[in-house]
Amino acid sequence: MEVTAYKTDMEFFVDMQRCIGCKACEMACAECETNGHESMIHVNYVERAVTIQTTVQVCMHCDNPVCARVCPADAISKDDFGVVHTANTARCIGCSNCVMACPFGVPIKEEKYDMMMKCNMCYDRTSAGKKPMCATVCPSQVLFYGTREEISRMRPNSTPVNTFLFGAEIVTTKVNIMMPKGSTHLRIH
Amino acid sequence: MHFSLNKKAALISFVATVVCVVISFYGSRKLQNFDPALIAYLFGTLFALFGGIYRYCVWLQRPPTWLYFKRTWQLVFNGRFFVHAWTLITDAIKNLLFQQFIYPRGKKRWIAHFMLASGCMAAFAITIPLTLGWINFTLDPSTALDPGMTKLYNANFFGFKVMSFQLGSALAFFIFHALTWCSWLVIAGAVIFLVRRLTNAGLIASQTFEGDLLPLILLIIISVTGLGLNFSYAFMKGIAYDFMSVTHAISVILFLVWIPFGKFFHIIQRPAQIGAHIYRREGEKKGMAVCPHTGKEFTSQLHVDDLKRVTRELGFDFTLEDGSSHLDYSPEGKRSLLAKAHLKARQENGKLFG
Amino acid sequence: MAKLPVSPEKIITHFGPHLNFAPQEGYPGRDEPDATVKTHCCFCGMQCGIQLLVKNNKVVGFEPWMEFPFNEGRLCPKGVQRYLQDNHPDRLLEPLQRVEGEGFKPIAWDDALNRVTTAIRQIQAAHGKDAFSILSGVSLTNEKSYLMGKFARVAVKTANLDYNGRLCMVSAGAGNKKAFGLDRGSNNYADLEHAEVIIVTGANVSETFPTLTHWLWRARDNGAKLIVIDPRVIPLARTADIHLAIKPGTDSALYGAMLKHLVDHDLLDHDFIREHTTGFADTIAAVQDYTLEWAEAITGIEKEKIRQAADLWGRASTSFLLHARGIEHHSKGVENVLGCINLVLATGRIGRPYCGYATITGQGNGQGGREHGHKCDQLPGNRDITNPEHRKYIAGVWGIPEAELPGKGLTAWELIEAIHQGEVKGLLSICFNPLVSLPNNNYVREALEKLEFYVCIDFFLNETARHADIVLAGSLHEEEEGTVTTAEGRVVRIRRAVTPPGNARTDTSIILDLAARLGEADKFTYADTEAIFNELRVASKGGTADYYGITYKKIEDNMGIFWPCPSEEHPGTPRLWEDRQFATPDGKAHFNPVQFREPSEVTDSEFPVVLTTGRVVSQYLSGTQTRRIGKLVGLIPEPLLEIHPELAQRYNIRQRETVRVTTRRGSAEFPANIVETIRKDTVFIPYHWPGKKSANQLTIGTLDPVSKIPEFKVCACQLEPLGIFTQPGETNAFDSI
Repeated sequence: MEVTAYKTDMEFFVDMQRCIGCKACEMACAECETNGHESMIHVNYVERAVTIQTTVQVCMHCDNPVCARVCPADAISKDDFGVVHTANTARCIGCSNCVMACPFGVPIKEEKYDMMMKCNMCYDRTSAGKKPMCATVCPSQVLFYGTREEISRMRPNSTPVNTFLFGAEIVTTKVNIMMPKGSTHLRIH
Repeated sequence: MHFSLNKKAALISFVATVVCVVISFYGSRKLQNFDPALIAYLFGTLFALFGGIYRYCVWLQRPPTWLYFKRTWQLVFNGRFFVHAWTLITDAIKNLLFQQFIYPRGKKRWIAHFMLASGCMAAFAITIPLTLGWINFTLDPSTALDPGMTKLYNANFFGFKVMSFQLGSALAFFIFHALTWCSWLVIAGAVIFLVRRLTNAGLIASQTFEGDLLPLILLIIISVTGLGLNFSYAFMKGIAYDFMSVTHAISVILFLVWIPFGKFFHIIQRPAQIGAHIYRREGEKKGMAVCPHTGKEFTSQLHVDDLKRVTRELGFDFTLEDGSSHLDYSPEGKRSLLAKAHLKARQENGKLFG
Repeated sequence: MAKLPVSPEKIITHFGPHLNFAPQEGYPGRDEPDATVKTHCCFCGMQCGIQLLVKNNKVVGFEPWMEFPFNEGRLCPKGVQRYLQDNHPDRLLEPLQRVEGEGFKPIAWDDALNRVTTAIRQIQAAHGKDAFSILSGVSLTNEKSYLMGKFARVAVKTANLDYNGRLCMVSAGAGNKKAFGLDRGSNNYADLEHAEVIIVTGANVSETFPTLTHWLWRARDNGAKLIVIDPRVIPLARTADIHLAIKPGTDSALYGAMLKHLVDHDLLDHDFIREHTTGFADTIAAVQDYTLEWAEAITGIEKEKIRQAADLWGRASTSFLLHARGIEHHSKGVENVLGCINLVLATGRIGRPYCGYATITGQGNGQGGREHGHKCDQLPGNRDITNPEHRKYIAGVWGIPEAELPGKGLTAWELIEAIHQGEVKGLLSICFNPLVSLPNNNYVREALEKLEFYVCIDFFLNETARHADIVLAGSLHEEEEGTVTTAEGRVVRIRRAVTPPGNARTDTSIILDLAARLGEADKFTYADTEAIFNELRVASKGGTADYYGITYKKIEDNMGIFWPCPSEEHPGTPRLWEDRQFATPDGKAHFNPVQFREPSEVTDSEFPVVLTTGRVVSQYLSGTQTRRIGKLVGLIPEPLLEIHPELAQRYNIRQRETVRVTTRRGSAEFPANIVETIRKDTVFIPYHWPGKKSANQLTIGTLDPVSKIPEFKVCACQLEPLGIFTQPGETNAFDSI
């Protein structure tokens, strides 16, 4: 972690309306060296009985990560780049507080390991200056990893938003969601 | 990093350390059984005790930790705890003694961890009481003077004789070399881990030197110099004995001092895992929460309610206008809600793309 | 003797399908590979660039290939998991012979190959040359496809060679030849980027060609309107500007009504029609009665939506029309294709930037494989086997008298019928699993059981190969050099990453060896794969699919070359028809009149529900490869019957209840998935699974009169709920018998 080629001008942009539910990201995520063939990304049908809509969720890497704050074991940490790391395997006690408290539904309790795991933005790749595996393979580019300048050129009618309203709570994140141009936030409730 | 003394934790750990000193004073029969050669180790151990308890108390004061702590004691006091006694025992054996939960993550990984953990814990069990003077070995006076008799050794705990064994017996060999066995276990485990950490790309990306590599190196140094002491004494006529004993002492003291702050704290933390298991079982008995979106059970209602309280204490407010909470939704429900909100925003704008 | 030697359960125990998973921390050596090989994915016509990581002659992982222009690193789940077909426990490592009552036992290569050539000679001596047949496939490289064509005609000397492309894009090929005189997508996909209107009809792009989605979404980012025509709300359709939920089997009615709307509202390019096309008058005469009301009654799509779609298409200044098997797998597949082409020609939007038309070829080498002569009526360069000049040229290249070159043979489905009738006695198959992929597969199995001799070349013992007398252990995609041609018409290089394991051999060496044993060694001696390609270049020279100017080096330097490429100086042709010189004899594009007719089997009181079939994203065709990869199987463990809640209610079918689906050809049971995303009169089943879980037990073998493609996409069925409920993945569909 000391020597790193992490590119700070690169950001993560998500637009779940582009998702075709193919799960290439899920397969690719498992190829990430940091999670031992477990997939940390979520693709799920929103309501399969009525729509084919799928959504894809990576860790949003909150500025004030709820997961880390509710962790009784102090197992989750945020680094200087703002990446919220997966549970420290030595500390995690598998209580699932983070799983249930994350407003985006990201952390996964791996029952067989009695441990939580989550997306760490492909730290093995991003810290080497590469794009995360999911954003590299995503065939519909729901998941895009690149510079702000690139995304604004490619999608001129959208604005990256990183402020999310859950009732009274305002959550700001490192990862952006692409919204209609001029949007400042996404209200979930 | 900003440091401010946590007074509550400091007080508790100070009292605990004093109690330990007092116990040790009387346990070593007013220092009569105390080995002065271990004085440096003693201070290291006392510091580790103080620091460990301090850190534990600070840790407990985190709202989520305190909640688990509180729930555990509530179970004890309302008697429900004993319903879970069997879980407690089996979990302690499975998780603490055998660290079974590591096995699914890799057989080699488990073997390494098991060797490392068993070696360390056995070594603690031997050295800490020795250092504090709680245990000592004496030559049985009845056999000491008679050159014709086989020498009998007594093991004393708090000055009371608990067992005796013949010098030169297998048992004696086993007891006197206990730390040797521990060292070999630790070296084997630590080397496997070290190799893993130096070759696995995922670990290389996410590990830190002081957090992950240094502890392993330290354990290897402690074990190797420990073995070296023995080897030097037995086979090398004491060559390099001083060097080894100093290195051993320094590395052990570093290790002790570091317990509260570094990677080794997880040894103290691990029993909480069993608490989490019991909390979960107890919660399941009381009733499950059903996600309003998926219509499926996802965790206990107790867990959801506790998390609402804890997040509020931590300064988050997920309460919704209708009085319900975002935390009433399962992870899948939360993801779907976000996707639906996003779709709505896109549709209202009229453009799904661009 | 092409019956199973032992029970299928016993065969499965030895040869799978078994599921392959990567080790928990990946294959060792992934971090420090011996080689990183830039090649392509083996699944589907997109042929995405991918880098395989090789350690100790094993493929241990992959790394995205960011520079390859079509996909720039993007992959679908099959592409991500493709590397797991290597290191597979089911891999055939040596040739096998069928032993009655015992199963498949190893046999020496020499003995195996001698048995094959002896059987070929005996059958041909007793029943004529054409009594021995060959079925090939277009997941093979161009070199192997070419070689199979030459092997059949020159070494085995049979007319009866056909291929699984017959189940793929032959309707599109036939339609394109009629209209343009050449069979290739007219544009590369970069032309989607600024198309104003895009029609995707009968193509579940997001599941069958996921990486093409990027180009569609790019277009939409630039403001394109998307029209999706499909009986289901496929993932593309959910966000489409217009979704026309068409009743299966009525596509040509829709295109006819749209064409009439263009004519009625004068949304035509008169100059283009006049200067560069023929047959317009007859074509519009054929649709003059196709009012929107009529189309609504036939297709089940509201007329207002048809009007909107036609209007949008008519008024666009740039556009792209894409279709795939959804409109081609019909007894009128060619007519459907021509209906689409008529819409393109009427607006004159072809041969210009961002004005395109293309079928999306399905198989890995669906494009190249259908050009170089392993099709019963075709010779290399997409030449016609019945055309005397074409015959003469190829006979010259191959060094045989033209008279010895066999004529047109039977198509794949007709071959099965001929085996049934005892006219064909022997079969060699490669890269084809007809027991899963052909329609009415109970009938196919009966045919296989009647064969006197069946030899199969494959790397896994697929469901059909279980019936073989001899199985020759061949090679995987990553075990041989070669080229393939992507759905865009881009010829790309396939690289050998590893050599075949154990005693397995490359497909090429097996074919060459067999040819030599059949006494034709002089015509089947090549220094390497490139030498085969160089012969192919000459063989294709002057044909419509002209590869003459393409060399291995040129492909490597440019990351692919688009054919036609007639000379070494020629840069290749990413966009066809820019010069308005079509490949037809008169140089013009041809309108073809299309009148609507019903599918071969329509619903009635006995079989009241429309059945259609298709694919899922995690499986590839008959699943020989993908039903062996653990995580892909895990994504969609079993085929489900998709059914609308109203239809489900009529039969009192509940969610995940097992439903027996019966047609005139067979019946099979599937758990119901009740969803509003399908027409109320139609049910859908994906077809990748074998045995009891095979949707092709139900489908119909009626052929298109021109292309001879079977009508997979529409037949009539009845439904019966069985009151049984299972959990997902509870039954093992991947190795179903």
